[in-house]
Amino acid sequence: MNPLRGRLAVALIGLAVAAIGCTVLVRSELASLRAAFETDARIVHRLLSQRSAQQDAVMSMLSLLQSGSGTDAAGRRVASVYPQILDLLQRHGDASWTEPALAAAEDESRRERRAALAGVDFARGRYWLVQAATPASHAAQIDLRGMVPWEEWPMPPETSPVRVILEYAGQQFLLQAGNTGSHSGFDFRKRLATESQPFDVVAARGIRWSDLPWLKMLGWILLTAAALAGLLALERQRAERRRAEELLRLGQVARLNALGELAAGMAHELNQPLTAVLANTQAAGRMLNDEPAELDSAREAMQRAAEQARRASGVVDRLRRVVERPDVSAQLQPVKLEVAINNALYLLEPQLQQLGIKPSLGQTAVSVLAEPVALEQIIHNLLTNALQALAQVPAADRHLDIGVRIVDDKGRLTVGDSGPGIAADVLPRLFEPFFTTREGGLGLGLSLCESLAAGMGGSLTAANRPPRGAVFTLQLPLAAT
Amino acid sequence: MNSPLSPLIHLIDDDAAVRDSLALLIGTVGLRVQPWAGPQDFIAQFDRSGIGAIVLDVRMPGISGLTVLDQLIAEGVDQPVIMLTGHGTVEMCRRAFKSGAAEFLEKPVDDQKLLDALQAAVQQHVRSRERSRDDREAREHYARLSEREREVLGLIVAGLTNKEIGRALAVSPRTVETHRAKLFAKLDAESLAQLIRRYAALVEDPA
Repeated sequence: MNPLRGRLAVALIGLAVAAIGCTVLVRSELASLRAAFETDARIVHRLLSQRSAQQDAVMSMLSLLQSGSGTDAAGRRVASVYPQILDLLQRHGDASWTEPALAAAEDESRRERRAALAGVDFARGRYWLVQAATPASHAAQIDLRGMVPWEEWPMPPETSPVRVILEYAGQQFLLQAGNTGSHSGFDFRKRLATESQPFDVVAARGIRWSDLPWLKMLGWILLTAAALAGLLALERQRAERRRAEELLRLGQVARLNALGELAAGMAHELNQPLTAVLANTQAAGRMLNDEPAELDSAREAMQRAAEQARRASGVVDRLRRVVERPDVSAQLQPVKLEVAINNALYLLEPQLQQLGIKPSLGQTAVSVLAEPVALEQIIHNLLTNALQALAQVPAADRHLDIGVRIVDDKGRLTVGDSGPGIAADVLPRLFEPFFTTREGGLGLGLSLCESLAAGMGGSLTAANRPPRGAVFTLQLPLAAT
Repeated sequence: MNSPLSPLIHLIDDDAAVRDSLALLIGTVGLRVQPWAGPQDFIAQFDRSGIGAIVLDVRMPGISGLTVLDQLIAEGVDQPVIMLTGHGTVEMCRRAFKSGAAEFLEKPVDDQKLLDALQAAVQQHVRSRERSRDDREAREHYARLSEREREVLGLIVAGLTNKEIGRALAVSPRTVETHRAKLFAKLDAESLAQLIRRYAALVEDPA
């Protein structure tokens, strides 16, 4: 799968999971808010119903008391126990009410055999309750705010978001402000249970943005993100392991290929002289059998056979040198780097002239501890590589820079060319045995050089240099002066 | 000791030591050898009319011996080609024979094997050259015959007697005899057997 598309898919899934989780959280929060609201509203309704019923009972009791004792003082004493009763009036016999509305209510009370409402004034928060009786009827003025049992109130009246109103015939009395001007929310409306005081308890609760469970949602989103990040990290880890395994496998294949190349190369290198040896000796045999024997020709053929046998032996020798990795540390001696360089340049003089290259050579005298032949082999190899690189660019662009310096108590030799440089994928494998970019090459030259340098306590490294070309750096311990 | 008309072996190998030694070996049986260091020179210069054979190394820088073989066959070169290889695979061998190689040998090659292969190749080449010369001559002779003589020749080859031929062509046996004598002379045939051997193919396939 495309990694970008995969990542996008994971992000989308994460978004969906977060959104679903948040929706569930909001819904459950709203459900619990609604449950709390309805419980509170029902409690409010019950409390107010109880109070209104209590007031009904007080009115009935006043009628009973006055019929027993016949005094007004008893009634006043009773009324004083109830703080919501602001005023208490009595009408005896044929006397008339000070308030005309009370007369109509008394008629209703007599008719309905219960207390009746009069002079409802929600703007001032009061109303009259009239109880008709004989010999005297009573009227009590009741304070709406006073009838609320605040000590049993289920909500903190100042801070609660629930708005509570009493409604009667278009009049409204605000018991609790709650939050106003909010979004849609919950509603509750129920008439008080007492017939004498048919007020509607209206409760409403708006839902504001701040009511939503932001913290929980944030927590959920963070949790989702963390889980996804973990998943991605796990996936990345698995991908990396797969890549590492792939690289390992590739490396093994490459090594097998390299071995196959080596074998094929060696087979060819040996086959040619062997073919010549066989043909020469067999030709000589035939010449000796001729009548008369061609002795001179036979002798010459045998000589050529011997030459070719030596050639084959040289091939085997080269191979053995590669395989054995001679221990050069035992033969270390002070060697002047510039002398070794000049020897190598002398050997390569024909190629240098052919390519039209004049090497620029630093004039510092540096003496290192090295095995002379191994050192010259390394330098020869580096120069040969540089020349092969330079052959690939136009003659005017061919520069060969050989530097000799002392850096950090080490003798440092650099061979820089202005050739095509080393490809990025080749650079890390440059010193690997059997790795070669050259057609028919064995890929052992640089590998051997590195082994030789290491054997002498030094190092060999390669890099590209700006603007173009490669530079090889050989470091060797300084000779004691 | 070698006459200029004796078969000439063309030997193509980029390795000088191999080239020289094989040339020496081939020379011991009296065959002339012309060594070539590279296939390009060989293709450009070698004498296509001569009698002989070609020994070609498969592994050469620049151009594969198998490619050279394909070029030679495409050009219609009739000298048999013997391929030499250091490490021959079955696939390589199959390709060589399919392309028309006469023989496929592995290096280092045993002298007897190589020389036998060369002798066989040369003989094959000589025979094929003779056959094509005979074919050419027969065609030329056949062209001299008249229409009637060709009819008579066809019936002779079919095994009819003079009497039967006369009846078939509605002529007298004597006339048949005259045609017969003429065509024997024109075709330079000494016996009936020789006549049939040389010309039967031309009669059956007059094209």
